[in-house]
Amino acid sequence: MSHPHRILIAAALAAAVSVSGPFDIVLLPTARVPGATGHARLVFAPSPFGIAVTADGRARYDAQVTISGLPDPASLGAYRAYVAWAVSSDLSNWHRLGTITNGTSTVGSAELNKFLFVITVEADSSPPRQGGPVVLRGASPSTWLQSFLSHPLFRGIPPG
Amino acid sequence: MIYRCLAAIAAACCLTPLALSAQRPPVTPPKPKPAAADTGGMPGMQDHDHTRMQGQGMPIPMPEGMVMMPGLMGLRPNVTPFLPGGGIDPKTLPPARPTGVVRLDDGDTLDLTATLVRRTINGHEFAMYGYNEQVPGPLIRVVENATITVRFHNRIDLPSSVHWHGVRLENRFDGTVGVTQDAVPSGGSFVYRVHFPDAGVYWYHPHVREDIEQAMGLFGNVLVASRETGYYSPVNREETLVLDDLMVNGDSLVPFGREGPDFALMGRVGNVLMINAEPRHDMRVKRGEVVRFNLTNVSSSRTWNLAFGGAPIKVVASDISRFEREELVPSVVLAPAERYVVEVRFEKPGRYAIVNAIQAINHFIGEFEPQVDTVGIVTVDSAPAAPDYSQQFATLRKNTAVTRDVDRYRKYFERAPDKTIRLTVATSGLPLATVQFMNVDTAYFAPVEWVDGMPDMNWLSTHTQVRWILRDEETGKENMDIDWRAPVGSVVKLRIFNDPKSFHPMQHPIHLHGQRMLVIARDGVRTKNLVWKDTSLIPVGSTVDLLIDASNPGAWMLHCHIAEHLGTGMMTVLHVDVPGEGVGRDNGRHH
Repeated sequence: MSHPHRILIAAALAAAVSVSGPFDIVLLPTARVPGATGHARLVFAPSPFGIAVTADGRARYDAQVTISGLPDPASLGAYRAYVAWAVSSDLSNWHRLGTITNGTSTVGSAELNKFLFVITVEADSSPPRQGGPVVLRGASPSTWLQSFLSHPLFRGIPPG
Repeated sequence: MIYRCLAAIAAACCLTPLALSAQRPPVTPPKPKPAAADTGGMPGMQDHDHTRMQGQGMPIPMPEGMVMMPGLMGLRPNVTPFLPGGGIDPKTLPPARPTGVVRLDDGDTLDLTATLVRRTINGHEFAMYGYNEQVPGPLIRVVENATITVRFHNRIDLPSSVHWHGVRLENRFDGTVGVTQDAVPSGGSFVYRVHFPDAGVYWYHPHVREDIEQAMGLFGNVLVASRETGYYSPVNREETLVLDDLMVNGDSLVPFGREGPDFALMGRVGNVLMINAEPRHDMRVKRGEVVRFNLTNVSSSRTWNLAFGGAPIKVVASDISRFEREELVPSVVLAPAERYVVEVRFEKPGRYAIVNAIQAINHFIGEFEPQVDTVGIVTVDSAPAAPDYSQQFATLRKNTAVTRDVDRYRKYFERAPDKTIRLTVATSGLPLATVQFMNVDTAYFAPVEWVDGMPDMNWLSTHTQVRWILRDEETGKENMDIDWRAPVGSVVKLRIFNDPKSFHPMQHPIHLHGQRMLVIARDGVRTKNLVWKDTSLIPVGSTVDLLIDASNPGAWMLHCHIAEHLGTGMMTVLHVDVPGEGVGRDNGRHH
């Protein structure tokens, strides 16, 4: 895994520290947009049932993204839009959710059990794949499922 | 490795049995059985192997690769073990028969008798319960606005009653023990007059110790046909499927608690999934056949995600009405007590697996694990179905009558809630290992837990240690202490918040008796396609707005339909009062 990817994951997991519920994602800025802040709230995608899931039972979430402090994309280079992505934990699968702006935007839908929530700045509003740099990132609350060893109860226990 | 850490900590903390004592007789070691691994060729899906959940020498079935935590080893729930028949030889009991259809006209009478029956499941015989020696009980078919008389006879070894789930009937016949009637003792009888004002799929079950009686086979459906021509689209056939699960450990049932529920944290999530009381439901249809499935989830705790081998599914109706518009869906999610009417078209010859496909959580390694259980196969012959209903199936109908009905209530959608209820839990006296584990594990909790990922801790939690709570946010009152009243004919906006920060957050299917309600918003997002419901799934962390059409006077229970949550207190009563009469027709039983 490349160094930038390690940093991205570490930052995303750090953002998850302040998660307040099973649907909340705190977004942390990169150095390109130090004044930007934001969060995403996962809501179930429209469904006739009590929840929205795929045929194999993965939750289908839309994200209500609230952002402030993002500059005009063009001020960062040859870019025109900010795009939200749901990204698998190994960074191999980037699923485009939609474009976002300052204020609140709803994009969807994310269908991964665990995912990083990443916002990039792009030359196109609907790029087929991620091409521009990351400006904000967070992680789905479900990433906490790996957190046993970070709990004080388990500190000092040597790996088995 | 993580598990070894837990074991080390448990040992270091000298976790010992606290208030729990060994009261359970030895459990017969399990006998291995062959795995059923037939998904009908569903791409990317492989059957979940339950054979490794059949005990492995444990007192309860444990998930594959998991053993009981050291701090819980040797503990038993602090309840007296109970199974139907008290050890009776199942061979002395009549065998349970498949469901029979009973068509009743207005004014007809049905005798409904709850008895002990012998059921044979995966080759093992068990003493269980049935209505009229059938499991599921008789399928009652009536036409809307019919009124029938049901003479219920209790011939089982527990007090019982019959609740007519979802039916807006007269309050005194609701079957709610402690609210609308006393329990019918063993050997006793009770006469119900049941009026069916709404077309739809309903069901009946006891309303006392559901964790035992319903789980052991006391459930059945009522299909209420509309008088409207073309209420549903035409189909080639109709099938009524009752979804259930059962906890079997080797060749034994896992006993219940005589004094109150065990498995009080998550409810009893069975390891044998069943359709119409059998582990396998196979069908044979013709190419292109369209089948209407009436689906009911009677499981104590399990939420299902049902699919038909990738065949297109059209969702048509739910608890008390059709949807405003039909939708195509990849699968059908049913919380306990919910019903859905769906149509499925089997276009090409072949085999289509009926599966429950979910994402389990392995709490020890902190990962999601896909699980697929095949509960049946639909074999599609090459001969074409006649008539050909492909055109009708392809049409997604708009039910303007439903929309017109809902339109009368839209003016109430935006108003402030009349009542806000928080869902939470209080515990005391749980084993130390359970408390420590939960404090770690609840860093994240899934909105819906599809299976029991901690069955040892769950099993050991009982009604004396766990109290599930509906808390009135305005008064702070809880459960049956909430004084909730509304005049008949009023519209009540109820907001329910499922607290994700409680000791054990979990989804709750909330059921309201005797009225109908709309789920108008989830987490602030307005519902676009409405349907009249009596049960709504409230995921962990969610806020759900319900609009109740309080049209039926009386004392009506609102409760979680996870049987063990109901059995540990998660219930209250909505009094729908008649003007001038003060308290509604609640028979003076609850004030």
